[in-house]
Amino acid sequence: MDSVRESLIVTESLKKDYVEGGVVVPAVRGIDLRIDPGEFTAIVGPSGSGKTTFLNLISGLDSPTEGKVWLRDHLISDLSGSELSDVRRDHIGFIFQAYNLIPVLTVKENIEYIMLLQGVPDRERAARVAAILKEIGMEGFERRFPPKISGGQQQRVAIARAMVSRPELILADEPTANLDSETGAELLDMMHDLNHRLGMTFLFSTHDKMVMERADRVITLHDGRVAEDEWRVPH
Amino acid sequence: MFTFKLAWRNLFRNKRRSIIAGVAIGTGLAAMIFTDALIEGMRGQLIRSATAAYLGEGQIHRQGFRLTQEPALTINDLATVRASLEKDPSVEAFAERAEGFGMITSPTDVSSVMVVGVEPDKERILSRVDDNIGQGTYFAGSGERDLVIGSDLADILGAALGDRVVLTVSQAGSGELAQDMFRISGIYRFGVKEMDGGFAFVRLAKAQEMLGVEGGVHEIALKFKDIEFATEKDNPFWAKYSTGGNEAVSWAAVLPQLRDVMGLFWVSLAIMAVILFGIVAFGIINTLFMSLYERMFEFGVLRAVGTRPSGVRRLIVFEAGALAILSIAIGAALGLAATLLVAKTGINYNGIEFAGTAFYEPLYPILQVRQFVVYPLSTLLFTLLVGLYPAGFAARMKVADALRKSL
Repeated sequence: MDSVRESLIVTESLKKDYVEGGVVVPAVRGIDLRIDPGEFTAIVGPSGSGKTTFLNLISGLDSPTEGKVWLRDHLISDLSGSELSDVRRDHIGFIFQAYNLIPVLTVKENIEYIMLLQGVPDRERAARVAAILKEIGMEGFERRFPPKISGGQQQRVAIARAMVSRPELILADEPTANLDSETGAELLDMMHDLNHRLGMTFLFSTHDKMVMERADRVITLHDGRVAEDEWRVPH
Repeated sequence: MFTFKLAWRNLFRNKRRSIIAGVAIGTGLAAMIFTDALIEGMRGQLIRSATAAYLGEGQIHRQGFRLTQEPALTINDLATVRASLEKDPSVEAFAERAEGFGMITSPTDVSSVMVVGVEPDKERILSRVDDNIGQGTYFAGSGERDLVIGSDLADILGAALGDRVVLTVSQAGSGELAQDMFRISGIYRFGVKEMDGGFAFVRLAKAQEMLGVEGGVHEIALKFKDIEFATEKDNPFWAKYSTGGNEAVSWAAVLPQLRDVMGLFWVSLAIMAVILFGIVAFGIINTLFMSLYERMFEFGVLRAVGTRPSGVRRLIVFEAGALAILSIAIGAALGLAATLLVAKTGINYNGIEFAGTAFYEPLYPILQVRQFVVYPLSTLLFTLLVGLYPAGFAARMKVADALRKSL
């Protein structure tokens, strides 16, 4: 288990079946993977290959039919709903394809939401929000509401929200899919930079070649299995 | 605080729907406030009508008299009681009466009546017989054979103003019959059958003479400075005058059916509340579920980033609370406006008999602070309670299902 502790994520024989119309549909058919701290990894594959299900399973958003998932020392597959919430709050940041900021909260409030859940004191929260806004180049946007800023800006805020609580792992679902290529590239560079500087682990689900090109490791899923696991940089 | 801010803002994401829901719930609340105010007005009106007509707000008798109407049961130690009442700061006025069952006979017909001997000057303050005189006068001058009866009794007897009739009563102690002739000097009309057909008023001294209770009285009718004083069950006044073989009772004991009707009003209001709040409950659930389904993905995001199921439950309950606050503001304003409007014009029930009495003036709803505390608070608590159902649903949903279109 020591090796488990060294890895950030470990999955063992991970399987997930869905029942649709009385028919069992296997979405993930036994994945054994290790994701180490600091990786910048893309999970790719055609639609229906199990990318989304895999990310749902490792983040505890869904429960496996068989197999185990560890996030550090937490056996994700055995935790209760509230425990999973706490693990996600403290260890995982999410970046969604459609940004998914809370529209009735300002930029500042969206970013500080997770810190509020964590009970971070007011002053520290304010300092961290200010710092991250500076980091993503959105100073002065604190009081704006998401519908009043552009898609690229919303995704920056979503990245800030995911990172401000300093999670070890950031799961990003098609983060560039709704952005033009220039904005997408800019955000990817920003995430890559944060990965290098802060050592945060990024795990992307993507079809985007730009993401694949920047990834240190590309895991290809096919029919719910790992078809290829390619390192682009020495590890 | 943050959760409430989020809930409050969520409420206004779909302004039209929230306002419609708020108006629906608020209308229920306004109906409760208005009905309560109306019942409060009716309660006061009925008590005033019943007590001011003839009964008085309280009465003193010899123990047993109310049950037997035995002429011999006159009030004990009348002089002391009278002196005490004259000094009592809570008593505005009182009038002494001698009464007994009797017969009234005209040349054409006969009827049983309650013969009541009154002190006209004092009785003018205590009862409304004088106000309701339709023909003749209420003991004008000093004619000791003046008789005042109701219009129904006059009809039964086929008698008119100025006609002569004979009263027959049973005397105290001996039971001997005493008869005397009277002239109808006044005819009143209350609109209440018992009053208009069952009483014959004569002067007190004449009644005492006929009943054989010289100097004695059977009843002292009381008017207090504050009518609510008479409704207080534990008022020491009743105990103070319920000594020496006498008993002092409030109007509620003399006219128990009126007290029961009051109780029924509140039961009716409670039933109305159950029905209204039942309808409102479905409205709240519908509104919250519509809002929840529209934002299912958003709840998925909240759960994904670390909000516990209890946090989602709290958010929905707070949204229900925010809806309640909006509804209370609308309902209180509507209730206040409707009540003030009707309080200005009143509802005219004049002359309508109800629970043994009749309305003599328009019915005015009465606003009380309680109506703007109890019902709004009930609305808030009820809405929060009802909100637990969609809140529980939201808290139990699978995050992956909510996020199906994303991660």
